[in-house]
This record gives sequence, structure tokens and C-alpha cells, in this order.
Amino acid sequence: MESQTHTQPKKKQWKGDPNAILSARAIHKTYKLGRLAVPVLHGVNLDVQKGEWVTILGASGSGKSTFLHLLGGLDRPDRHVRSDQQRRPVSAPSVKFEGRELTKMVARQLDHYRANDVGFVFQFYHLLPELSVIQNVAVGAMIKHGRIGYHMNRKSIIDRATMLLDRFGLSHRLKHRPTELSGGERQRVAIARALINEPSLLLADEPTGNLDAKTGGSILDSIFELRQDTGLTLVMVTHDERIAERSDRVIRLHDGRIVED
Amino acid sequence: MYQALLTKKYLTRKVMPLLAMVAVMLSVATILITWSVMGGFLKNLVNSGRTLVGDVVIVWPNVGFAHYDELIVMLEADQDITAATPTIETFGLAQLPDDRIELISIKGVDAKSYSDVTGFADTMWWKPLDKPTVKDHAGDDIRLMPEYKAIFEQIHANGLSMTRPHPKTGVIEPAGVLGIEVTGLNQRTKWGGYYPLNTNRALPDGSVEIVESFMPRDGSIGLTILALDSSGRPIDPVTRTIPIANEFQSGLYEVDQGTIFVPLEILQKMLRLNEASKVELVKDNDDPFPTEFDPATGQFVPKMKEIVGIDPARVTTVLVRGADGIALDKLQDRVRMIYNDFADEYAGQVPTGFQMERQIKTWEDLNRTMISAVEKETLMVLFIFGIVSMTTVFLVLAIFWSMATEKTKDIGVLRALGASTMGIAWLWVRYGASIGLVGAAAGTTLGYLVVSNINQIHDWMGENLNIVIWDPRQYYFIEIPSDVDPVKAVIIFVIGVLTCVLGALIPALHSALLDPVKALRFE
Repeated sequence: MESQTHTQPKKKQWKGDPNAILSARAIHKTYKLGRLAVPVLHGVNLDVQKGEWVTILGASGSGKSTFLHLLGGLDRPDRHVRSDQQRRPVSAPSVKFEGRELTKMVARQLDHYRANDVGFVFQFYHLLPELSVIQNVAVGAMIKHGRIGYHMNRKSIIDRATMLLDRFGLSHRLKHRPTELSGGERQRVAIARALINEPSLLLADEPTGNLDAKTGGSILDSIFELRQDTGLTLVMVTHDERIAERSDRVIRLHDGRIVED
Repeated sequence: MYQALLTKKYLTRKVMPLLAMVAVMLSVATILITWSVMGGFLKNLVNSGRTLVGDVVIVWPNVGFAHYDELIVMLEADQDITAATPTIETFGLAQLPDDRIELISIKGVDAKSYSDVTGFADTMWWKPLDKPTVKDHAGDDIRLMPEYKAIFEQIHANGLSMTRPHPKTGVIEPAGVLGIEVTGLNQRTKWGGYYPLNTNRALPDGSVEIVESFMPRDGSIGLTILALDSSGRPIDPVTRTIPIANEFQSGLYEVDQGTIFVPLEILQKMLRLNEASKVELVKDNDDPFPTEFDPATGQFVPKMKEIVGIDPARVTTVLVRGADGIALDKLQDRVRMIYNDFADEYAGQVPTGFQMERQIKTWEDLNRTMISAVEKETLMVLFIFGIVSMTTVFLVLAIFWSMATEKTKDIGVLRALGASTMGIAWLWVRYGASIGLVGAAAGTTLGYLVVSNINQIHDWMGENLNIVIWDPRQYYFIEIPSDVDPVKAVIIFVIGVLTCVLGALIPALHSALLDPVKALRFE
């Protein structure tokens, strides 16, 4: 279906890398703050190859988190550019993952995409405080498999969750609550949660932004090892230049535009 | 799956769901208690109303109908009918011991057969008791006192036979059974019994006589009624003094406050419904001045009247008691059929069997006004409490809204992990249903326990907190009536759960429709 889409004449204008696992084109996004239109992204383009580690660098408010949410199917790009005075159409935005067009997916398909293909890691961990460490990791699998599927695969899911937590040095913390963990441990749990469903793409939004340099470095080591072992594609958003040094490619975002690739 | 896990965690780790559960529990318990008490009140009232009526009645008011004995034989021959009894119902004036005159309903009954058809025998108040009534904790009831046992046994027997020995001559004479509240001289006690009081009676010379008002001993009532002729026209008023053999309590204040039972024959005579010779004025075309021999004077006197037959005794009502387990409408149809046969057999002598709907009624028909009034009151009280309980919906809504707001970021995380909008909505609906289930179950249990022990709780409140809501001196039933109907309990339980689900629905939709990005950025 998606390959047919590529052959359509209209789609011949596509100038991205056809081999990229993730491609974004003409991404515009404007938020409304009351009556005020606040443009965040101005036609951003990006291709990410399979297994690549891309870091998006930018100052606070440059639109990097918004861009990450669009790549993860949590939000949809604008089809019109809004300013305070007018609203004009833009060239069709596109976000493709493994050839599938995210902007044309219905809500159910996007849910499926997030549950199966993408893992999210957030700056503030966003662990569910009522759940134990292992439950926080397994919750993604519960969402993916549903009640019956989860029960049928329960053992393998718990085994994988335990394995991931063990890998991140948290095997002794399985029954602990997030409030009983340090910041670094919480972020490791969040990464394990993001990986529970074996996604091809990990989207990390300032994963070390809330940690001290040593802990942050340790987290990055874990991610780096994981990528080495699994060939995971990684898009990381940060304003920390030191992180950028470890990635394959760095994109600089300024005022909603890519200024360096 | 994650909904079940989070529901369990939210239920056990939050104070707010506990508050919602308490709200649902109290709401469910309140409605169950109210409905059960009102239902019990209605049930008591209905049972009381049925006590003196039997199952089905055949009514021809005023002039009544003849050959009732034959009708009763026909009725009792039917396998669906256990017993039948003739009665007369009319109104009159009662002159009470302190000379007050009150309007009174007079029922002429045959004591034995009336007891076979109704619960008349059980309504006799003055009888010896072996154990105190439920509220008489101190055993103050004079019917318990051993020294009065023989007297009460005699009074009880008098009531059952509707006779009483004359206080001076000892001659047995027909007597009536009076409603316990008629004279107003039986003081209702706090434990729901009666204590006879003396009263003052003004005399013409300005002096005052103290009258003992324990009616079954030597009290009597003056009854004045208006007799009707066979065509229903009033004749002269008739007055007769009726000795009182006993007093009855049916459980219906309106009945006990304005009814007297008298022997059937006495009322028949007073109303001229008894058997009588049928006479006609003599008309002789051959002899314009017919005469007859008068044995008293030994002379021939003008012949004015001639006995042409016997006018049989009549009654206004026949009460029928059905066999155990027979449906009321089936019994009613059966009685109609038998009456039609009876009317055919005595054609021209008894009212026709045509259009008997108004004449053959069930006890429910007779008490319809009372029953429907209480049913409407119950409905009204439930409606009011229902509206009050609707606040639970908004309480649950407010609590859930607050919780959903608190969990906004978690919703964003779940959406980022692939949870669907429906999945998020179901999380809250399921959570609401769980709170509803637990709250409604607790409320139903609480309501059941309160209703089951409502009188003990009430007694405790009276003794320890001096709070007496249901005082038998004001209320006619000694105890707070209650009747836990499982069907009602299930209905209230389901409504309790639905209330919670309803309250959770708006926060559920709100959460489900949240923009995941906004949810993740929520502070």
C-alpha cells in the first residue's frame, strides 16, 4: 500500500532519502496561546537512517520537543501556516516511518505505531507513581498486547522486563516504587519501559537534562551500548553539546528551522 | 490490562476514591433504608387493611340481598373457597361513655364465621398475654398480670362470642366489639399498649360523675341508626344500647377509631333487614268492607292486611376467603360465576348477576385508595431522596475530575506508550464502575444491616441519646416497619453503580480526548 503511494505521480516531488527509516518533510507547527499564534516549526526536513543516532540540538523553545512529538505520532504537523493575520496552505507535510505515512494515519493506526515501533524517553521520566518498577516497564507491553495477549505472553514480557532492568543494574529494585529511586535509576526504568516492546526507533527528549553530569553520562553509556547491541535507531533532543559529540549526526534547530545538519 | 492494574492501584492508594465510595455507600444505604421502611409501612398497612375484609367481598349496599345463607352454601361448596360469612355494613351515631356523640361505622357480623373468614379473632385486644410485646421491656402491660388472667380470659371469650354477662343479673346478652381508639379513653403507652383511663361525665344538676371507661367490664355504647325500607327509603331512626364485650385493634387507625362490630341479628333488626312477614292491604272486589275475627276482642274487625308470604333476612355483604395459594383474580372470577348461578336460581328475589364488577371486589379494590396513597407517598419520598442522591453523581464527577486532572501527565505517558482514547476512557469508566461496585455493595450491606436492626438502633438512640423518632404514642405501629425486598436491593445496587459510572463518564471523556502533547506538558 505504502509502496504504491511512492509510485504515484504526485509523490514524485518527494526529495527525501528513500532508504531512510524515518523521514520528515515540510513540517510546520504553530501553537495558539489564547489569540496569539506562536509558530514553533517552519518547514523542517529530516531523514534518519536505520541504526543511526541523530541528535537534535537547540536552545529552549527552539521547537525540538515539538518536532520529536511529531516524529513519534503524538501530534500532527500543520497543513496551513497560521500567523496572527492570515492562514495560508503549505506544501503537504509528511512524516514517514518505514515508508508508512504518519500524517495520513487515523488515530488507531497512530496508537499502534506508538505501541509497536516507537519508544519514548522523557526528561522527567514520567513513571507512573502507583506502579512498581517492573510494572512501569511492563505497562507498555500491556498496552500493546491487550488483556488476553498480555496473559498469553505474560512470562516472556516479565522475563524481558527483568532482563532490561537487570541490564540497567536495577534487578534489585523490581518491586520498588519510583519515589524510592534516584533520578538516574528512574531514567533507566523509563528507558527500559521505552524498550519493552522492542521498538525500532527510540525518541529521547533530553534524557539527561534532569541528571547530574556523572549520572547523565552513565545513562548515555547505557543507551550507547544498547544501540550497539540492537541496532536501534535513536533520535535524541538535547541542548547539551557533550551529548551531541557521541551521536552519529547532529542537527541544530534554531527558531523552528534547521540551521545545521 | 493496564486499566485493571491502574484501577487496582488507584483504588488502594488514594483517599479520593475512598471519599467517592463513601458517598455512593451512604447514598445507596439511604435509599435502601427509606424504601424498605416505606415498603414495610405499606406492607403493614395492607396487611392490616386485609385483616377484617377477607379476600373477596360481594356487596349490595343499603337494602342488601336475601337468601345469603344459600349463597354461602354454594360458595363453600367450591374447592377454591375456604369459608364465607354474611355481614351488614352501615353508619350510625355512637353515644360514648362521656356522652360524646361520634359518627361510627357499624358492622353486623356472625362472630364465628366472621373469624373463619377474617383475622377478627386475632384483633381482640383484651386477652391474657404470656410474654410482653416487643417494646414493653419493663413488662408494664396489664394483660401480663397474673391476677387479671382469669378476667382477661373471660373478656377474650366474650369478644370471640360477642356476648357478655349482664353486670347485675349475669344473664348472657349479645354484645359488640369496639375499636380500641373509638372512645379515646384508652391511653396509648410509650411501648405501644393501652391503659384504660377514667373520665368525667357532666350531670344535669351541675355535678360531675367519674365514669370508669374499661369498656369490656360494664361499658356500653348507644347506637343510633337510620333504618331503610326494602326500596332504600329511610324510615325512623332506631336507637339501642350495645354492651361492649371486648375491644379490637386491626392496625388501621381509621378503622380502630371509628368502627364497632355488633351481632348480625341485632343489626338486621335495627335496620329491618331481618326475616319478616310479607303483608298486603286487602282488596276484594266482591266485598268492599271485608272483616276478620279478632281473638283478643272476640269480635269481627275490618280486615286491613293479609300475610302473603315471608320476606327473608338480608345482608349487605358476603365476605369470602379463598383457598390457600389461589390467585386473587381467579378467586374473584370464581365468586362471580357462583353468584351468577345464585342469581339465576333466585331470579326475581336477589339482585341480578349482570354487571357484577362493582359488586364483587377484592380486598385490594377495597383498600385501593389507601394503598395507592401510601404507594404515591413512597414514590414521592423516593423521588426526593433520588434527587438528593443525584448529588452523588456530581460528587463523583468532582472527585473524578480532580483525579483525572491530577493524572493528566500519566494520561500523556500512556498515550505515548500507545494507549488509545477509548482505552483511556475505559480506564476511568472502569475505575468509576469499581468504586460504584464497592460503594454500592457496602451501601447495600449497610442499608440491610440498618433496616434489619432499625428498631434496636432506634431503642439504643432513645436510651442513650434521648432521641425517639418513632414514638408508639404518636405512630400507630409499635415498631418501625421495615421490609428489605431483594429486588429493591438489587435495583438500588445497580443504580448506585450506574451513578458512579455516570459521574466518571465526563472526566473519562475529558481524559480520553486530551491532546497527549498537552497532557505531557501539563504542570
